[in-house]
Amino acid sequence: MSVVTSPTPPRSSSSDTLKALRYRFSAKLFLSELLAKNWMEPIVPFTLMLALLGYFAATVPGYLSVDNLQQMLNLFAEIGLVSIAMGFVMISGGIDLSVGAIFAVTNLAALIMFKIFGWPVPVAAVCTLLLGAGLGAVNGWLVGYLKARPFLTTLVTLIILRAVFDMVSGRYATDFATSDVESPVWDFLGAGRILGVPTNAVALLLVIVIGHIYLSRSRWGWHITAVGSSRKAARHAGIRVERVLFGAYVLSGVLCALAGLFYAARQNSAGSDTGQGWEMQALTAVVLGGISLAGGRGTVFRACLGAIIVFLLINGFVRLGLEGYLTLSALGLVLLVAVGVDVKWAKNRGKAIQKIYVNPTWLKLPPTPSIARGSDSPFAENDRLSHAEPIGLGQVEGPEDVILDRQDRLYTGTREGWILRFSGPKFEHREIFARIGGRPLGMAFDREENLIVCSGGMGVYGVRPDGEVFKVTDETNRTWGKLNDDSRLRLADDLDIAPDGKIYFSEATIRYEMHSWDMDGIEGRGNGRMICFDPATGQTRTIIKNQRFPNGVCVTHDGQSVLYCSTWLCKVFRYWIAGPRKGQVETFTDNLPGYADNINRASDGGYWLALAGIRSPAYDLAMRNPDFRLRMVKEIPRDEWLYPGLNNGCIVKLDAHGKPVESLWDPSGALHPAVTSMREHRGWLYIGGLENNRIGRVRLEGADPDWTGQDSYWGKPSDQNGRGEN
Amino acid sequence: MAFYSHMLRNMRQILFRDEDQHAIPSMDGPLSPNNYLDAFTPVFDDLTDVDDVVAGPDGLYVASGHDVVLVGKDGSRATIARFEAPCGALALHPDYRVLACVAGRGLAAVRADGEVIWLTGAGGVALTCLTAVAVAPDGAIVVANGSIRHPAADWLWDLMEKNASGQIVVCNPGLGDARIVFDRLAWPHGVAFSHDGASLWFTESWAHRVSRAPWSPDGPGAREIVIGNLPGYPARLSATAEGGFWLALFALRTHLVELVLTEDGFRKEMMATIAPELWIAPQYASGRSYLEPLQGGGMRKLGILKPWAPPRSYGFIGHIDGHGEFDRSLQSRVGGQNHGVVSVVESDGDLLIVPKARGQVLGGQRQGGESRQ
Repeated sequence: MSVVTSPTPPRSSSSDTLKALRYRFSAKLFLSELLAKNWMEPIVPFTLMLALLGYFAATVPGYLSVDNLQQMLNLFAEIGLVSIAMGFVMISGGIDLSVGAIFAVTNLAALIMFKIFGWPVPVAAVCTLLLGAGLGAVNGWLVGYLKARPFLTTLVTLIILRAVFDMVSGRYATDFATSDVESPVWDFLGAGRILGVPTNAVALLLVIVIGHIYLSRSRWGWHITAVGSSRKAARHAGIRVERVLFGAYVLSGVLCALAGLFYAARQNSAGSDTGQGWEMQALTAVVLGGISLAGGRGTVFRACLGAIIVFLLINGFVRLGLEGYLTLSALGLVLLVAVGVDVKWAKNRGKAIQKIYVNPTWLKLPPTPSIARGSDSPFAENDRLSHAEPIGLGQVEGPEDVILDRQDRLYTGTREGWILRFSGPKFEHREIFARIGGRPLGMAFDREENLIVCSGGMGVYGVRPDGEVFKVTDETNRTWGKLNDDSRLRLADDLDIAPDGKIYFSEATIRYEMHSWDMDGIEGRGNGRMICFDPATGQTRTIIKNQRFPNGVCVTHDGQSVLYCSTWLCKVFRYWIAGPRKGQVETFTDNLPGYADNINRASDGGYWLALAGIRSPAYDLAMRNPDFRLRMVKEIPRDEWLYPGLNNGCIVKLDAHGKPVESLWDPSGALHPAVTSMREHRGWLYIGGLENNRIGRVRLEGADPDWTGQDSYWGKPSDQNGRGEN
Repeated sequence: MAFYSHMLRNMRQILFRDEDQHAIPSMDGPLSPNNYLDAFTPVFDDLTDVDDVVAGPDGLYVASGHDVVLVGKDGSRATIARFEAPCGALALHPDYRVLACVAGRGLAAVRADGEVIWLTGAGGVALTCLTAVAVAPDGAIVVANGSIRHPAADWLWDLMEKNASGQIVVCNPGLGDARIVFDRLAWPHGVAFSHDGASLWFTESWAHRVSRAPWSPDGPGAREIVIGNLPGYPARLSATAEGGFWLALFALRTHLVELVLTEDGFRKEMMATIAPELWIAPQYASGRSYLEPLQGGGMRKLGILKPWAPPRSYGFIGHIDGHGEFDRSLQSRVGGQNHGVVSVVESDGDLLIVPKARGQVLGGQRQGGESRQ
């Protein structure tokens, strides 16, 4: 199935063409989608890192030479690992001040095991990591199971471990220097290269990649983030909070031990200042990288990014020959500025996106056709809906679509996310047929009499005749080259089912939710699409992109094409699904006086079309003034926005070729404002409305009193094949 | 250009944060919304197209269409005068003449014997847009001329053109010696003297304000703004015995209209291409056509039109004390009928109002809207 591009909106002059072009593409749109990406969050530290690299590359001679880079990577790897360790704990909502001390102790232990005891390197390495895990486990046990405060707990372990380190290291200091234990593996750990990259840096890279996958793609990683975001909510969700916290500290210990091991192999000695103040360096790095002190927000990359910045600063200032105290104060200053900017950025990013998210476009509609009362226009205003019989008055909230089954029972979706069923001779019996959730909108019965429902916010769902709900589809193929993942269905609107069982449905907009459909109207952009679900393959594919609020969908009587309405264009399109013109889109009905909503079959071979509202001159003018609309949504509250005129009811009858032939009106909207759907059934027309508190019905003079939608789609019960198989 | 002017505006908003932007004040305290005005009922069913009513010693004088009708205390009707054009604001002179503002012509002073003398211009300005008239204790006459660009019936054009071309004119009891005392006003719509006669009060609709000036036999002194930023468009005033005034707001300001007033390009295109009754603008009455611009809050939901929806038309009268502080108000909210009140007077302890949405004189109790403070 090929994807069809959108039919262009009507244009009348070259200046209009220019305007349409100018507003069709929007840099702001791209920017807002870019900013919304999660990986844009650490943009401030990332920029800082690049700036620092650039600055030092320009001022320090030979800075970017391979030799220097290798050296720097070698120096950086350990602090990078320790920062990632700190990052994990902080994402889990805690803090680990003992990272520096664990690093120092495990470093010492590795040296003792290798240099003094002469253990083979693999044994010493495993034992070092185990020691790190054990030390982390102490922290984890205290914090996770005994519910001790992380700050104090890890401060205490910091002090104890530091004291142990000082005691032990003093005793062995000279022994390391005199030890003659040698091992090529040990030297490889300390000074080796893999493809020119130092061993410890390769280890760091591996940790970053694995850590990232672990944190962002695995169940355990998600649990850490969840616990960090809200411990209570995580507990309520069934996450074993104690175990997750315990795990986070053990992980931190292991990473510190890994750093300690490499450090030992590289230095072959343990100075008294090993790991001194690293907890503060790691903490600064992590915060600078944009990992929230409150937990629940951050990635491995960000921890590493922060560490790189801190490292570059210290290293670079030393290389520039700055005095030690100057280096420190310069570091502090840069950090202060960066953290300040980052805090503002993190706080205001959402607002920035919000400010530029709505991007109204230029939309010019042709002059509206006559709706004058008493005129011979098919749209002439009348009162034929003003005496509609109420059904379920006050018992239903927002019956967007209505449909009847073979037993003459009336179904409707409500804003509570329910499917209500009315039965009885006067539809006086109301029951909740199914609870789907979302916002049930368009409905259709399939051959097996399952009720297939578009549910705004969820996707396409089905309800079996016994009331059991099942999912049909909730995603389609992702558009290539699009920044945003648009595969999830946001606002499935209406559907219909072709004779071969394929479900054609519209997604009104991919940029807004059900509750903000009005924003899409103000934007007026081709944000919607037509999608097809094939039950034979289980595949969902987008078939027509960039439609302006595609709404009602109806398979024509001959089953050869699908009609769909574009609400903001006031048009009905025909998409051929069979025959010689298969795959083509053409205009079916043009220049309607109002906003086309649902469309359904009529008994005489024509179609019923609901107009949710009638075009008002002021709104039409606003649609030609995108800048005005933009300032409107920015400057005044939503209740005050100019809306399409929805406080009236109108249903239009189209003939088989899309020509309007008559209309039914409730001009004041007293009974049926914003008619969004109608369904003909046995000589009556049933009327639904998105925001109404009733369903209505009017008798259709001269209509076939036996005609039903089921028979029209699937034939009479007697001559239907295969019915009852399921 | 539009881009430049908007950038300029944005810069001003950033650089001059404290600059008066005339934000619409919220209606709370004595202005809290209520429905008291909806209880008002027509007093005279036969008088239609009414623009003003005043109470005299022998009954009520009503400007109905082209006529000035005296409704006696016994209910009798007597046509005092009939003009060739619609008749607007009325006042009674202490010498028993009736002063009537006639559209497109000027001020008519009608003597009891039917003789009419006219004031049609002052200071080179034709008084074709008279909106209010009042009489000083010393017999001098004060009239408000809304605009020199439009007749009173086209007030909407004047608002949307953001004109400030109105005058307050003073003349002697014989309609002679007419002179402009205040010029370049943004649609002066009401004039009244305080109960003690010491000061002249007047309203400016498009500037949403009420001003006063001390009165001496030589004319008014320097003006002083009493209420600077009303939530609606003020119409006429009438003094009350306790030293205050009844003030009618014929419509409320909305954010959307205020926005349109700053959007010059959009507004000009709207005025050029759309019928005035369908503009984004205040109206005397609304809700009669689905072609009117709809605002988000005005959508009918679950069969209900929310009374707190942004009002395209509204009914409001309020009482202000001698310092311009509101102490009570009576209102008709969205969905109500008694909208577009341009005139309110007290008569025998009850209130008479003229809502342009109905074009009738309505009466009701003044007790309804006592202050909650």
